Amino acid sequence: MADQAGNATQGDTVSRVIRELGEGLPEGKIPASIFGNKEIYDAELRKIFGRSWVYLAHESEIEANGDYVVRKIGEDNFIVARDETGVVNVMFDACRHRGVAVCRSDSGNTSHFRCPYHGWTYSTDGKLVGAPLWKNAFGGMSKEDNGLLKAAKSDSYQGLIFATLDRSAPELREYLGGMAYYLDLLFGLDNDGVEVLGPPQRFVVDANWKSGMENFSGDDYHLGTLHRSVWEIGAFPIAFRENMMGYHIQASPGHSLSFSMAEDADEPGPHFFGFPDDLAENFDTSRINEHQLDVARRSRVMVANVFPNFSMLALPMSENGELHAPTGIITIRTWQPKGPDKIEIWNWFVGYKNMTPEQKERSYRAGLATFSVGGSFEMDDTEPWITIARNGKSVAAEMLDFKLNYQMGMPGTGIAHEVDDWAGPGIVYWSRYEEGVQRNAYDFYQKMMEADAGQWPDLKFPPGAESRSRRESAAG
Amino acid sequence: MTASVKTRLSIADPRYIEAADFLYKEADMLDELREREWLTSMVSADIVYQVPIRQTVERARGTGFERSTFHLNEDHGSLSARVARGETKYAWCEDPPSRVRHFITNIQVFADAADADELAAKSNILLFRTRQDQTTPQLLSGVREDVLAREDGELKLRRRTVLLDHTVIATHNLSMFF
Repeated sequence: MADQAGNATQGDTVSRVIRELGEGLPEGKIPASIFGNKEIYDAELRKIFGRSWVYLAHESEIEANGDYVVRKIGEDNFIVARDETGVVNVMFDACRHRGVAVCRSDSGNTSHFRCPYHGWTYSTDGKLVGAPLWKNAFGGMSKEDNGLLKAAKSDSYQGLIFATLDRSAPELREYLGGMAYYLDLLFGLDNDGVEVLGPPQRFVVDANWKSGMENFSGDDYHLGTLHRSVWEIGAFPIAFRENMMGYHIQASPGHSLSFSMAEDADEPGPHFFGFPDDLAENFDTSRINEHQLDVARRSRVMVANVFPNFSMLALPMSENGELHAPTGIITIRTWQPKGPDKIEIWNWFVGYKNMTPEQKERSYRAGLATFSVGGSFEMDDTEPWITIARNGKSVAAEMLDFKLNYQMGMPGTGIAHEVDDWAGPGIVYWSRYEEGVQRNAYDFYQKMMEADAGQWPDLKFPPGAESRSRRESAAG
Repeated sequence: MTASVKTRLSIADPRYIEAADFLYKEADMLDELREREWLTSMVSADIVYQVPIRQTVERARGTGFERSTFHLNEDHGSLSARVARGETKYAWCEDPPSRVRHFITNIQVFADAADADELAAKSNILLFRTRQDQTTPQLLSGVREDVLAREDGELKLRRRTVLLDHTVIATHNLSMFF
């Protein structure tokens, strides 16, 4: 990297800032310019969103054959459709004839997609099936070579459908790495899994998408200041200081998460992210192991981000603390990039399929009133993110060499320490006064931004780096 | 109860005037951020206040509203919690407050001859909002379908459904009231 440094400074903002990011991360310093610089954003669309596995939809949104939704990879539209044989296809929404969008609705059920320009018509698996007066116009031309373009790879895990535009990408399971263990723990806690409670809520914020990424990678410390109002109205049952107890986990390169957990395993609760005990007792947990079950049981909050822009949060919430005790909610969301200082937030609520309609309604209402465009938590979140992007694109940040501080929990800073009692994957810290989870996301981001086409950063931590190896050596 | 099963009132009907007066008074109160007063004096304890999610769909499939999924789905208790949150010292997103103006137009009022104590009102809303030193306003446009019910002699807002002209909400939060 040192060899490249000399060349990179010659007016190439992207290489310079990304190099500075790499140099600053071990000291917990991040150049503010990554949160608003236009050239960096343009590079991200190719190097991050053009290559990573990007979350698109939940299988429960397209349950029947012919069901489809339109979703985004970066700024580009993709149709996610279940074809007549039940297979999920992820297809670029662009007619092969002139590039016109062929899908006219946000979601629906159909037997085909017809281009409105000249009538090229595709089946739900993307095959070209015809066009008007075919023989006269195209007789003899191959239909097979003219189907809708598919994403390079698509796959699902725990009902979560992802795709990548990069043919050189590792398989989804390998990409998720250690995070799969924690997705199992949340979405596979009950054997039948989860389903969406309706279509996504979408809203636009003048902020940079990475503010969402890093917040959900495990920024628990902001609750005490930014979200102080929600304690005053009884929306959240765990006091700030108490909620800082728990684990910060770098699950694998790029993917991070955080659990709020009491120090004492026998602490009375809430457990299972606040879902009612009688509900949790009926879960069929046969798909997860004992450690995963124990972590879920002890967890009051789980917040996680799958790199780059897919996040989830499970915790006890109430829309009216005087009337309703907090109950478990699960929000899953994407931070859809729309520019260096614009995110479109897509927000879904999911519930365990085996919950009763009343339990789903309770969870949905509590979620809507807290983590949504009109929610008591979320409406404050977007406030600081707007000025992060404004300062990120500033000349001042560039001229004054403005580096942001991500040092919480580094050696000699605060009380967090790596643990040796964790059976799951990842680099694990107790307690949550810690920003290694964010540095993990930015470290992978930095490597993706520097990687050449076809090259992938390591998807595993080096041998011996994961906390369970400390556990093993402590035991041995 | 939907507006369509009731009789549309003339603009000169005293009940029309009463309903329109209610809506203007309410808009003024919300513009002036007198939210606690609005909740206490104009909103029924039985309020159902909803902003359903909308999707783009083909004409044959209707307007695209998903009436069982929402941007906001509130009752009196949750509205009270929202107002109370705004009154804390830590409601950052509205302190300093946004400038919000409610433009209420195209008011139509419907009544059922058999029920003098309930009016249905339909009105267009344009919500204009600026924050900090923004020069480009955030705009939300839609139609409100309201039920106004007479309680102890005074009209109260018992039901409000806000049907927005947006599939993607073009503002960073819905901290205001429609």
